[in-house]
Amino acid sequence: MSFLFGRRPRTNTVDLPKQAKEQISKLEGPAGAAKAEELAKTLSQMKFVLQGTQEVEAQPEQVYALVTGMITEDLLYLLAVNLQRLPFEARKDAQVIFSYVLRFRPPTASPKSEPIALSWVINNRPEVFVELCNGYDHKESATPAGTVLREVLKSEQAAAIILYDDPTENGNSKGLTGIQLETRQSGKGVFWKFFNWIDQGSFEVGADAFTTFRELLTRHKSLVAQYLSTNFDLFFDKYNNILVKSESYVTKRQSIKLLGEILLDRANYAVMTAYVDRGEHLKICMNLLRDERKMVQYEGFHVFKVFVANPHKSIAVQKILLNNRERLLSFLKQFLEDRTEDEQFIDEREFLIKQIRNMPPQPVEPSQKPALLGSQAR
Amino acid sequence: MSSEGAAGQYQVLEELGSGSFGVVYKAIERSTGEIVAIKHIDLESSEDDIQEIQQEISVLSTCASPYVTQYKASFLRGHKLWIVMEYLGGGSCLDLLKPGCFNEAHIAIICRELLLGLEYLHQEGKIHRDIKAANVLLSTTGKVKLADFGVAAQLTNIKSQRNTFVGTPFWMAPEVIQQAGYDFKADIWSLGITAMEMINGEPPNASVHPMKVLFLIPKAPAPKLEGSQYSKDFKDFVSQCLVKDCDRRPSAKDLLRHRFIRSAGKVEALQELVERKQEWDGVRTRPSHPKFYEETLNNMMPKSDSDEWVFDTVKASTIASRKNTTKRRKLSVIHANGQGLNSGAEEAFKRLDLKDAPLEYSSPPPMSGTVKRHTIRKQPSIMKLATPTKTRQVSSSQKKPLQPDMSFGNSGSTVRLFRRVSDNSTTAQVSSDVSAPGSTRDENRPPMTETVTKDALYGRRIFNKMVDPSFQEIHAQTGNQAKREALSRLADAWSALNEVDPEGEFQFVKALMEKVQSDPKLSVILSPTKASSRDGTPQASPQKPGSKLVLAQNNPHLKSHRRRQTSLMPEAEKISNLPGQTIPGMEHTKQLTDVLYGRWAGGLRTRWPAV
Repeated sequence: MSFLFGRRPRTNTVDLPKQAKEQISKLEGPAGAAKAEELAKTLSQMKFVLQGTQEVEAQPEQVYALVTGMITEDLLYLLAVNLQRLPFEARKDAQVIFSYVLRFRPPTASPKSEPIALSWVINNRPEVFVELCNGYDHKESATPAGTVLREVLKSEQAAAIILYDDPTENGNSKGLTGIQLETRQSGKGVFWKFFNWIDQGSFEVGADAFTTFRELLTRHKSLVAQYLSTNFDLFFDKYNNILVKSESYVTKRQSIKLLGEILLDRANYAVMTAYVDRGEHLKICMNLLRDERKMVQYEGFHVFKVFVANPHKSIAVQKILLNNRERLLSFLKQFLEDRTEDEQFIDEREFLIKQIRNMPPQPVEPSQKPALLGSQAR
Repeated sequence: MSSEGAAGQYQVLEELGSGSFGVVYKAIERSTGEIVAIKHIDLESSEDDIQEIQQEISVLSTCASPYVTQYKASFLRGHKLWIVMEYLGGGSCLDLLKPGCFNEAHIAIICRELLLGLEYLHQEGKIHRDIKAANVLLSTTGKVKLADFGVAAQLTNIKSQRNTFVGTPFWMAPEVIQQAGYDFKADIWSLGITAMEMINGEPPNASVHPMKVLFLIPKAPAPKLEGSQYSKDFKDFVSQCLVKDCDRRPSAKDLLRHRFIRSAGKVEALQELVERKQEWDGVRTRPSHPKFYEETLNNMMPKSDSDEWVFDTVKASTIASRKNTTKRRKLSVIHANGQGLNSGAEEAFKRLDLKDAPLEYSSPPPMSGTVKRHTIRKQPSIMKLATPTKTRQVSSSQKKPLQPDMSFGNSGSTVRLFRRVSDNSTTAQVSSDVSAPGSTRDENRPPMTETVTKDALYGRRIFNKMVDPSFQEIHAQTGNQAKREALSRLADAWSALNEVDPEGEFQFVKALMEKVQSDPKLSVILSPTKASSRDGTPQASPQKPGSKLVLAQNNPHLKSHRRRQTSLMPEAEKISNLPGQTIPGMEHTKQLTDVLYGRWAGGLRTRWPAV
C-alpha cells in the first residue's frame, strides 16, 4: 500500500498509534522539542492514511487498522490533553485526525450506525470530550479543539456528556451512564468553564468558545430545555453576570443575541416564561436598552420585547414597567429611530409602545404562573 | 482588560487604505520595531454575525506560508476589532496595474508564487474563493502573497465540496455560479482570470454588467487570449486555468509544472513593478496628506434625555456602574431639562395619536449616520449569495436585491461595486410579499411629506420594494437593446405613476394581484411560494431572471449538498428563531405569537394583512 502515498512511510500503519503514544509520553522530557518534531511527522503520516491526498484515495482497511489502534492506545485522549504542546502544523494535523477518526465507519457498517471511535469515546472514554473543551485553556489549542468539538456536538450523547460533566471525587468524568437529568449541577463541570473562557480569553479563544457554547445550547433542543429547566438559577446567574454584563463588546453583544434566541425557542417555552417572570431580569434588560452602543441596544430590544409581549406578566415585571411607563413610552418612540428600513423592528417597537400604553394602571395578578416556577422554587 | 494593553503594543501610523470593511493602518510593533498593517473593523457598524469575521480570522490564523499574508494577532478595543497582519509595502497588484499592464515575464512570476500559495491552501483544505489582482499583495522586495480571506472556506474533508455562491463575479468559476458544488479548482479558474486581468488591465467582460456576467460565464465559451502579442506558453497557461469543466482543470500542483511557470524568473524582478508605481505616484500630485490615526473619543451619550429607569430597589444601575460619575452629573442637569423633556414627550404622543398606522413614519428619518450604519463589510468587492436553503441572517440593508450600478462598466477601476445579494434577488418579486426585504433606494429618498393615506404608503412601498428592483433586475438581464429600451420606458412610466399617484399604484397592483389569484393557472405560476421552489418542484416561471440559478436549484446534486451544508452549518435551522432579523413575512414574530399569544395573532394578521 505504501507506494500509494508517494513516499514510503517509515512505519507500518498499525504501529503509528503506538509510536505516537510513545512520543507524546516524552514530550515533557529533556528532548521534548525533538520528540515534538518526531510526533509531528507521525501525525502527518496518520493524516495521510486517514484522508489520502487529492490524488490518492484513503484505504478503508488501513483506516480501520489505524482507528482501532488509536482506541487501543488511548491516543485520542492523549492527543486532546497534549494538543497545545504540539507544533503549529501538528495541531492542525491532530484536528484533521480527530475529525476523520470520530467520523469513520467501516465500509461494511450501516451508514446510520455510530462511528466506532465516537461510540467508544461516548461509552468508555468521555474524558476525551472534556479534555477537548479544556483545549480552551490555551490559545494554541483553542481553534483545533473547538473545530473538533463542534463536529462532535452533532451527537446528542456527546453534548449530554459535556453538559452534564460533573467531576466525581476521583476526578473522572461520569460519562453517559452517570447522567441524571433531574439532578442539579454543582457548577464545577466542564460546561461551566465556558463562561470564563468566553469572557476572559483572548479574542480568538473567546470567540471560538462562544461558537461552541452556542452550539451546545441550541443544537439538541429537548436536551437543552431539560438542562436549563433543571439548572435555571445557576445558568442564568452566570449568563447574566458574566456574559451579558461582560466588559467585552463581542461577548456582550453575542450573548444578548443568544439569550433572545434561547428564550424564543419553542422548546424552551418553560424556561422563557420563568425568565421573563423575574423583575431583576427585566432590569438588566432595560439597562441594555440604554447602553451607549447601538447594537447592544438593538439586541437588548429583542429580549425586552419578550417581557412586554408576555400576556401573563408577573407583578414584579408589571411594577417596573408601570413605574417607568412614561419614560419607556417617550424612550421607545425615539429608540433606534435611524433604523428606518428595518420594518419588522419598527412594527415591533410600535407594538411594544401600544402594549405598554394599554397596561392597566395597577399591577394585576397574572392568570398563569410560569411552568418552571414550581420546580425551581425548591 | 488585556486587550487594552494589546493595543498599546502598537504605535499606529498613517492610514493605508479603507473600505467598508474598515480602515487599514500602518503601525509599528513597539517591542520589535517591526512594521505591521492593522485592520480596524468597527463591529458596531456591522450587523454581520461576528462569527463571520471570526471565520476569517480562524482561516488566516491557521495559515503559515510565505505565500500568504501572515496573520499576527487580533484583539478587541472597545467595539473595534484590530487584526494585525504582516505589512506589505508594495501594494496590491490592482494598485500596481494603475500605471499600466504587466508584461508576461512579471505575470509568470506572480502566477508561480500564487500557485505556490494555492498549493499550500488547498493542501490545508482551504479555498480562497476570491482570487483577483486586488487580493494579491507585493512586498517592496517583490514577494507575492495572497490576502483577504474574507470569504475563504475551510473544508473539514479535503474531498468535500462547497456550494455557497461567493466571490467577485468577473473572476468566478462557472461551477461556483451554477452552485452545483465546487472545490479547489474554483481558485484555479480565478487565477486564470487574474492572469488576463494583469495582461489587459481588466478581467474579461469587464464592460458587461456584473449581473449579466453571471449568466455569461457558465454559458459562453471560456475566455482566452488571442493574438500574436502573447506567447504560446502564456496562452496555453491561461487556457488551462480556464477549462470550464472543473474535473479536467489542472490543480495548482499540476500547473506548477507548466512551461510558462517553469521558465518564470526571480521575484526580485517584481520590484520593477513596485518602482514603476512609485514613480507614477510621484508624477501625479498627491491628492491628500497622509491621514494619521486618531483615537476616536467615545462620547456617545445615551440618546434619550430622560434619566435612568426607576427600579423600586433604587440601585440606579446595575450595568452602568462603571460610568457612575457621568451619570451622577447628569442627575443634577435633569431638573433644568425637565420641562423640555415633558413637552417633547407630549409632542411625540400627539404625533403618535395622529398617525397610528404601523407603516407610518412618525418622524422624518434622520439622515446622519444612517449610511455608515448600513455599510456592509466588504461590500465593494464581494458578492455573496446565500444558498437557498441557508436563510442568511443579515441586516435589512444587506438583504436586498442587487443594485445594478449602471455606471459600473465604464469606470476605470477594477474594483467593482456590489451589494451583497440574497437569494430572493434571483427571482423577481412578483408575489404580494410586501414585507420582503427591500432596496436601499429609499434610504436616500427625502422623507415623504405628501403621502398621507395608508394606501399611498403601500403604493410607495410596492414601488420601492417590488416594482423598481424588479425593473432593474430584468433590465440588467436583458441583452437586447430594443427590449431594454421598451423596458426602461415602462419603468419610467411606472415611476411617474408612483410620483403622482401612489394610491392608484397600490390599487392597480392590488387589482392585478386579485386578477392573478382568480386565475388558477396564473396564480400557480406567478406566485411561487418559497416552500415549493425549495423542495425542487420545477417552476414554469415565465420570468426571465435567474433562469440559470433557478435551474441550478433544482439540480438533484444540490440536495445532497444542501444536506451536507445544513449539517456543516447548524445555524441554518435556528436562524429563523433569531430575534429581530428581517426575514420576509416576519416569521420570527410568527414564532413569538405561536409560543406566546395565539389570540393576539389574529388581530395582528388583520392589522397587517401583508404578513
